[in-house]
Amino acid sequence: MKVIKIDKKDWADGLAKLSGGYRLFGPVKDKEFHNFKELDNGELPDFDFSNTKLSAKSMVFPQAEAMFKYSLDENEADHHIMKEAEKDYSPRAAIGIRPCDAAAFLLVKKNFDTPEYKDPYWINAYEASVFVGLACNNPCSTCFCTSAGCGPFHEDGLDVLLADAGDYFLAKVITDKGEKLLQAAGWNTEADAGEDQIETLKKEAEAKITASVNTDGLKDKITTELYDAPFWEDVAFACLNCGTCTYVCPTCWCFDIQDETHGTSGIRMKTWDSCMYPLFTLHGSGHNPRGTKVHRVRQRFMHKLKYYVDKYGDGIQCVGCGRCIRLCPVNIDIRKVCELMNSYEPADAACQVA
Amino acid sequence: MGIEPGRLHFSWVSSAEATKFIEVVNEVTEAVRALGPHDNFVKHMPKVA
Amino acid sequence: MVGYTDKIREISERLLKEGTVDMVIGFRQGSMPMMNEPCFAKRPEDVEKLTWDSNCGINLANYLTDRKEKIGVIAKGCDSRNIVTHIIENKIKRDQLVIIGVPCKGMIDRRKITSMFETEILSVAEEDGKVIVKTGDAEKILEKEEVLQKNCAVCIHRNPVIYDELAADLVEEQKDIDRYADIREIEAMSPEDKWNYFDDLLSACVRCYACRNACPLCYCPTCFVDESQPQWVGKTTDPIDTKTFHFLRAYHCAGRCTDCGACERACPVGINMRTLTKKLEKDCFEYYGWEAGLTLDARPPLDAYKPDDPEDFIK
Repeated sequence: MKVIKIDKKDWADGLAKLSGGYRLFGPVKDKEFHNFKELDNGELPDFDFSNTKLSAKSMVFPQAEAMFKYSLDENEADHHIMKEAEKDYSPRAAIGIRPCDAAAFLLVKKNFDTPEYKDPYWINAYEASVFVGLACNNPCSTCFCTSAGCGPFHEDGLDVLLADAGDYFLAKVITDKGEKLLQAAGWNTEADAGEDQIETLKKEAEAKITASVNTDGLKDKITTELYDAPFWEDVAFACLNCGTCTYVCPTCWCFDIQDETHGTSGIRMKTWDSCMYPLFTLHGSGHNPRGTKVHRVRQRFMHKLKYYVDKYGDGIQCVGCGRCIRLCPVNIDIRKVCELMNSYEPADAACQVA
Repeated sequence: MGIEPGRLHFSWVSSAEATKFIEVVNEVTEAVRALGPHDNFVKHMPKVA
Repeated sequence: MVGYTDKIREISERLLKEGTVDMVIGFRQGSMPMMNEPCFAKRPEDVEKLTWDSNCGINLANYLTDRKEKIGVIAKGCDSRNIVTHIIENKIKRDQLVIIGVPCKGMIDRRKITSMFETEILSVAEEDGKVIVKTGDAEKILEKEEVLQKNCAVCIHRNPVIYDELAADLVEEQKDIDRYADIREIEAMSPEDKWNYFDDLLSACVRCYACRNACPLCYCPTCFVDESQPQWVGKTTDPIDTKTFHFLRAYHCAGRCTDCGACERACPVGINMRTLTKKLEKDCFEYYGWEAGLTLDARPPLDAYKPDDPEDFIK
């Protein structure tokens, strides 16, 4: 595969050229931490970060997004009729998305883009996007991507993989979309032995990953036994049900639909929701099938580590970015929960309880 | 919170003090009118993607 | 801190063995530096996991709400004050509790320490009032006094106000502390500057409500932000909705907040929302001479009418 060398002095110029044809998104420092957001005109992505606080999912799946608009003004001919909200699906490019966040889109795609159901908002935004990934030379202690089907130089879900090699970036072309973007930026010098250089950096980065999860046993566990496992009360005890884990997660896809009306005009929106919230499952009758926090915490882990595994057969619904571990206010750690689930034998529990 | 002090008034008015009630309402109305509209806390259509 | 941990385990083991309590609520060692996890021990042999150090900032009173068991609970000064508030507000009964008081020397501010280092912190240890921080390429020794959580630095109730057992000797309370310097600065601003200040303060909010959920005072069966008939607050991150949530939540805590700092500690995006609750705490202190949770014998000031309540603001 072709590897382009981008001298860092040509970086800003290239991005300026790109901004003519693409809406650019990237990591930007906001007070104490980095956020992934649309870049202002002339703003450069800041690559001095380990990862953004929230994942990059908002580029395709914003926290709040208009679906329809309507008018309640009976003088208008089409009052009380839902009309599609205007959308901008012109080409957009993520500059410096981490490989884990890009790989996460592929997991989420299984939910939003199926033969039976298609979410046009997600699909249109995703298809308008080009993903230029920034490989992780220095993963954090909470990164367990290499055991979650991903990695610091993982290429699935990316169009270009950038590796920081000091004075220059190595840009590995992964798709045609990526190639087109590099050409539009005027970056076209092929690197000498580019693939080898990237391979060396990749090996160094992977060697720095210290955290891991075992997932080999999950598939063969009996769902109801895992569901009834005695450890859930202990796992869930500290949980505040704040939903931070789900908001920062690149693979959490649940949403709510909300209307807001002001005067006689209104919009119908898709907004992030979370299985951590009692409201998420509250029925109109007042009954709540996930009425306690133990139910809700179990749901999150069972979904990611069991239901998804069984439904799609391609591993866990997690890319190992470690955000939920770093940002949980009470230190609930998915690595520990995964280990409990992966190694669970009902017979052990019977002995323990006795 | 960023609301001018003059916008908020507290008063004791007994149900028997109709005249005082009128005075207070007039005073408050004039005072708030003099300050002009307060736009900060007006909710508009949310800016969403 | 080893002394504290040993004593906590000893007391907890005794209470569980005697059957005085069904469970002890405390902290266990976290999986990351400067993080511990609230947990329970139900069997005497489980007490081995209980630990104590300067990373136990989560308020454990929050874990008592409406529980039915007999509970041993580890309580530093602020936790004990919120336990008092919980008892007054009927969220737990005094005779359900065995309070294991922990005289507190303050919790460390993980955000402040994290921001002092360029690279990721791999371990943090404590010894004799020092905090030893190691990153991949450096080791630095900090004075604990300098890296205290902001609310701990101005705390004047480090000792538990109510307890049945003590995990250590009482500590000397901090004196001559100016608790409200930051609040006075905001009070002095013009309305417009205040608005801009709060706009900036709350701009990063993602509306996860971790602050609310970490707060022992926030136990409403349905919070006003979750009501749907009528819906008081919109669900997006619209700045007006976000401000409405934060301001109203703060007002709900007036006269009840103990400045335990759990809200700030829990916030995933580092918002200093204590500036809101602390203003109300200051007002309750200045107008009513009231500090929340110091006694079981008085109702909070906004809960009770007294003929001598200040009324200068009424014209």
